[in-house]
Amino acid sequence: MEIKFGLISADSHCGFDRDAFTSRMSAARWGERIPQVREVEEDGRKVDRWCVYGKPRGDNVGNCPALMGDPFPTYPQHWDEVPALGYDPAERLKALDADGIDAEVLFPNPPGGTFYECGDPTFELDVVRAYNDSLAEWTTVSDRYYPVSIIPYLSDPPTIRREIERATEAGHRGINLQGETPGELPHLTDPYWDPVWDACQSLDVPVHFHGSCGLSAGRSTRFWSGYSPRQGHSAMTATSATTPAQIIPHLVFSGITERFPRLKFVFAEAGIGGLNYVLAACDHEWETRHLWTEGLSTRPSEAVRRQMFTNFWFENEGIKLRHDIGIDNLMWESDFPHVTAFYPRSWEAVEDVLQGVSAEDRRKLLYENAVRVYRMDAVLSVAERGAEPAEARA
Amino acid sequence: MSTDRDFVSVDDHVQEPPDLWTSRLSWSRFGDRVPHLERDADGAERWVVDGRPLLGGKVAAAGALMPDRNREPRCWEEVPAAAYTPGERLKAMDAAGISHSVLFPTVAGMAGEAFGRLDDPELETACVRAYNDWLLEEWASASPRFIPQCIVPIWPPEAAAAEMQRAVAKGHRGIAFPALPMHLRDVPHVSDPEYDPVWSACEEMGVPVSLHAGASTELLYPAFSGLAPALSEAVDAVTRPMSSVYVLSLLSFSRVLLRHPRLRLVFAESALSWAMLYMEWADHQFEHDGLAREGYELKPSEMFQRQCYLTAWFDEIAPFVGYLGEDHILWSTNLPLTTSTWPRTRETVERCFRGVTDGTREKILRSNAAGLYGIEPAAQ
Repeated sequence: MEIKFGLISADSHCGFDRDAFTSRMSAARWGERIPQVREVEEDGRKVDRWCVYGKPRGDNVGNCPALMGDPFPTYPQHWDEVPALGYDPAERLKALDADGIDAEVLFPNPPGGTFYECGDPTFELDVVRAYNDSLAEWTTVSDRYYPVSIIPYLSDPPTIRREIERATEAGHRGINLQGETPGELPHLTDPYWDPVWDACQSLDVPVHFHGSCGLSAGRSTRFWSGYSPRQGHSAMTATSATTPAQIIPHLVFSGITERFPRLKFVFAEAGIGGLNYVLAACDHEWETRHLWTEGLSTRPSEAVRRQMFTNFWFENEGIKLRHDIGIDNLMWESDFPHVTAFYPRSWEAVEDVLQGVSAEDRRKLLYENAVRVYRMDAVLSVAERGAEPAEARA
Repeated sequence: MSTDRDFVSVDDHVQEPPDLWTSRLSWSRFGDRVPHLERDADGAERWVVDGRPLLGGKVAAAGALMPDRNREPRCWEEVPAAAYTPGERLKAMDAAGISHSVLFPTVAGMAGEAFGRLDDPELETACVRAYNDWLLEEWASASPRFIPQCIVPIWPPEAAAAEMQRAVAKGHRGIAFPALPMHLRDVPHVSDPEYDPVWSACEEMGVPVSLHAGASTELLYPAFSGLAPALSEAVDAVTRPMSSVYVLSLLSFSRVLLRHPRLRLVFAESALSWAMLYMEWADHQFEHDGLAREGYELKPSEMFQRQCYLTAWFDEIAPFVGYLGEDHILWSTNLPLTTSTWPRTRETVERCFRGVTDGTREKILRSNAAGLYGIEPAAQ
């Protein structure tokens, strides 16, 4: 992969073509349960929806307001409104070039990656494989894509491990987990999941928690009957700021970071301030409670800086704390093509958020940290940008 | 004796004694539904109300005062006197440099939420009134260094407003309110207009409302049950302050702060270092979701700047004070919870205020709280 712009997005979202699952799963076995776009009736009008296990999901057929124009934000209701670059990897390269992005770490768009919700382990395993195969195919189109796989939660840990290995072999660069394990499954830090941590540490692929990652804590405050849809969206999204603080204490105080000291965790679309709080709060509790006597010999902030990474995109104030948090622990993200993305003016946003930041720090934040965390095979052709004005960009 | 190094702690907890409710509530009317201690076969004691455990089935929460901070008292005899005796508490305050202490309950819930879970509003109100009277008679009357806050029945709003007005008239200086009463029992959502009379009463009385973290289990992510207690409690201690983010978001986006512009909210046990990011994010999202077109006259950070206060106890101040504002940060010790910095609070203050100007330090350690709670500078 060539780094010619000097900007990598550590969190973008790619869609699926409407036959992504039907072409990979057995129609004889799964029929209409296979994820597919179907016309359904909603409030008396005909709309297209991704259907999974026969049931429509969400209130749109593509989460891509950054591609939809005015009025903003618009969410497509019919498949033919979804721009091809939302789901076609070759088309999407044009958008990357237009926006000045070298590479992207890819998280999903509808139908999403929560197939455990169907409660059918056999179906889940099949659909997870199809999902992972579909996204792995993006890496054969371009070396600028770094997809993140999902796991078959309802399978036994050895099966999950084999799927992680298979997906990584096929081109994935990490796994994406729920903040709380779904349903009645063992707690996130139950040793039951050790095969997952061990697989990711052995393969050197990061474990991801994206946005609010299904956390039920606080969910009730994101919904109120008095909210308009946009107000509810704001209330939901902004509280994703809590995700690192909700999850990292579990990972650190349960000893997972002690037992898997080379395992990396990435908090995508969770902002940078949560990490900042976690560093101070975990150290405070470790000291106050003498937790080295409980087998935690590593100071939490040391473990966090060694193993945890988080993304930024708009945090003008937060970025001033980059050295308090850890300059090696932060990566830029675009969130393209979601509502919060700055596309097609990502570089304007970058220059705005990085005012006064040194050339060395800029390189780390904009691409070097991502290259290291994701072990990207990168060839640098970008000119030293330093604090040059944005128009110097090719 | 207070010195210029001392500070106001806006978040400490009293430990209710075993006879608080049994001596004040009618036994003939409520029988053993009244809050009381029960002793297990192995000698451990636990609080019970109406057949349900209080305080997670413990007898006290006083880790900071215990010889081993990771070991809470198992029975009343083991509870340190500074947890429940005003005179001993004053000595503990002197040792750590605390000039004044704003008081929250323990058995009645860290945020005063425990009796809101009862199905019987009559028992709820009786328990609440007994606590409010007891705190004035036993603590507030013992020293002007104690700043009492009342607790409230969560529903109906007339009952909540009446008890707040009664308690404030008798001497309470703040209100400890469980931020999300609809999580305690089946009452309307706190953002619904039905709750407006409660907020209006607070505005009219001019006393601050404290929303202490941890009142709603729905906001918490419990630790793995296989963890040692010290580790499990450490997880809870770090995750619990996140409640403040959810509550602040809800009360901002659902316009409670806009409808009640004179309401002053103190987020007790909030911590500090998450707040700048949350507020930047809320403003960013507000803009990208186009909420200025949906009738908000202020964006989230402006609502905060007008009406809210965060409480720090281990956080560095300098990185955050510029953005959050020196007028909106308060200091606390969380005595006697295990997470407290007591008895080394003075050292913590010196570390956390490094690089902070004297004027800012004075505001955060003293004058912001003095203004909110009406503390006279001369009071010792």
